[in-house]
Amino acid sequence: MAGVLRSETGKGLALSAPATLYVGLLVAVPLCILVAYSFWTQTYVEIDRKLTWANYQEAFTDPLVRHLMIRSVAIAGAVTLATVCLAYPIAYFIAFRTQKKTLWLLLITIPFWSSYLLRVFSWKLILGFNGVLNSALISLGLIQEPLTFLLYNEFAVVLTLAHAWAPFAILPIYVSLQKIDRSLLEAATDLGCSKLERFVRVTLPLTVPGIIAACLIIFIPTVGDYVTPALVGGSQGKMVANLIQVQFGAANNWPLGATLSLLAMLSVGCVAIVFVVAVTALGRRIR
Amino acid sequence: MSEQNIIEIKGVEKRFGSFVAVSDLNLTLKEGEFFSLLGPSGCGKTTALRIIAGFQDHEEGEIRINGRTMGEVPANKRPTNMVFQSYAIFPHLNVGDNVGFGLRKTKLSRNEIKERVAEALEMVELGGLQDRKANELSGGQRQRVALARALVMRPKVLLLDEPLSALDKNLREAMQLEMRRLQQKLGITFVMVTHDQYEAMTMSDRIGVMFAGQLKQVDRPEVLYSQPCNREVASFIGGMNFLDAEVTAENSESLEVNVQGFGQMTIGVNPNVQVHDKELLVGVRPEQLEISAEKPDGYDALVQGEVSDVAFYGESVHYYVRVDGLKDSIAVAVPNYFHTVDHSRGDTVWLGVQSASVIDLGKRESLGGEK
Repeated sequence: MAGVLRSETGKGLALSAPATLYVGLLVAVPLCILVAYSFWTQTYVEIDRKLTWANYQEAFTDPLVRHLMIRSVAIAGAVTLATVCLAYPIAYFIAFRTQKKTLWLLLITIPFWSSYLLRVFSWKLILGFNGVLNSALISLGLIQEPLTFLLYNEFAVVLTLAHAWAPFAILPIYVSLQKIDRSLLEAATDLGCSKLERFVRVTLPLTVPGIIAACLIIFIPTVGDYVTPALVGGSQGKMVANLIQVQFGAANNWPLGATLSLLAMLSVGCVAIVFVVAVTALGRRIR
Repeated sequence: MSEQNIIEIKGVEKRFGSFVAVSDLNLTLKEGEFFSLLGPSGCGKTTALRIIAGFQDHEEGEIRINGRTMGEVPANKRPTNMVFQSYAIFPHLNVGDNVGFGLRKTKLSRNEIKERVAEALEMVELGGLQDRKANELSGGQRQRVALARALVMRPKVLLLDEPLSALDKNLREAMQLEMRRLQQKLGITFVMVTHDQYEAMTMSDRIGVMFAGQLKQVDRPEVLYSQPCNREVASFIGGMNFLDAEVTAENSESLEVNVQGFGQMTIGVNPNVQVHDKELLVGVRPEQLEISAEKPDGYDALVQGEVSDVAFYGESVHYYVRVDGLKDSIAVAVPNYFHTVDHSRGDTVWLGVQSASVIDLGKRESLGGEK
């Protein structure tokens, strides 16, 4: 035993055991239970443990499920696109245009000092019927009636999520920009590139890993987000996670909830893989 | 080398805050010349190169390349290309795309680019490696790719920033010869920055020696070696024994001097020295001194001393000899013809020198940091 512990493999196993145990108990086991549930059925409080495809049939035939799934992917896609596009210039500014990098990185993490829930609520206060934005516009005389398209729709969900996830996009892109050897940029200039060409042909391809990381970090959790759509989404901003929540709560149909969860995971996985392959291939085409 | 001037630099000055990186730089380079800027790190040589390339602006002065003023011309529009110290090989591109990077900007067709790239790789002996990934290259190959990538643009001037400093000694020496051969074949003006005196001497037609932002002397390597303009230049190019001397009589061609330890002799006036003083500094190269146990015949001056250190270099042996009345010991280099070390520590020896080997270095300057 002592000999095993002293060997490199033994040390490695010993060191990773707590984490493996933790992940095993809290991720793998619940996931297995989830898979099991998806093949069971429930009548009132009774769980019927006979294996069946019934939940999957229901999920695939119900137009609401399909509709919410597509909407979730679309909203998460829009959030990802908006966040990454807005985050890139900020990351670029911090990496190349300022000496006070630490200060800027600190400023960017400030939203994290308050809770996620509070941040969603504050957007509600800003965008609401009698909210900050409407009051301000009315007192400035720009509008007569409060704007109603600000809150309780997809727009509000995208805006709120994009704000909440911005630092997660800025940081990986910043790191990949920071890593670029400055002499590569000078070499591109030396070989005749203008600033824009240099960005497209050198900077952008070299930051593809950072962009992919940012996209995945944002896309995967936002597809399954239910707090933001529940609070600012109204009826047209509801996402698949809200439906899953209902199955485990009011509808009291855990098996269907489990099935929907698994399908959501699978579709996110597929979209993510297609995305990574496509972007990597695109990055290679730039010469 | 033609007589056409390719680069004319007049009164260029670059300051970083109150620090003067390059001061009053004046330099004219001929077409097809291999020119090196030599100096210790921080002397401003790289800044000077970056000013020529257009990566660094400058406060005063003017630069003309190929007859055109470069004042408003940005780096990407200048007829220069650069080999970077880190080589700056694009990691996301293969060798062929790296070398063809600049050509894609031109009006050349895909096939023409392919041909030019293949030709350039052939030239640096990397023929057929177009598809090799950047991270699969060795240090020497990266250096060659960087060279091919710059030369494929057919620049008027190729700028090289410490191009060989990352290579090991054997590879470096092979590349020195190869780059020199390439430069002579292509007839392109090369401007190289280096802190390695041997690299500068073996490769260059002319060398500019820089100290503290100032270009002290520009000359052919053999002139720099035999007639350095002052103590700084003399100490940076090869080894040198510095001795104090008194001028007792002088005319336009020669000086009667009394050299500390060695006594009275007549030496030639160094045309590169600007200010002569009665208190003169003279220098003797270690290999110009004769060392022997017996009193040698036929030398203009002799001195006796005691061997304080012996250093064996393989191709030569260096003896350090203490002479009464001299602050520093005198270094003597003896070629290792017979594979023997003739003197050892503590031996009493005679040093002989011909007056023609004693170099006039002008007035004695007190140099900060040097003994």
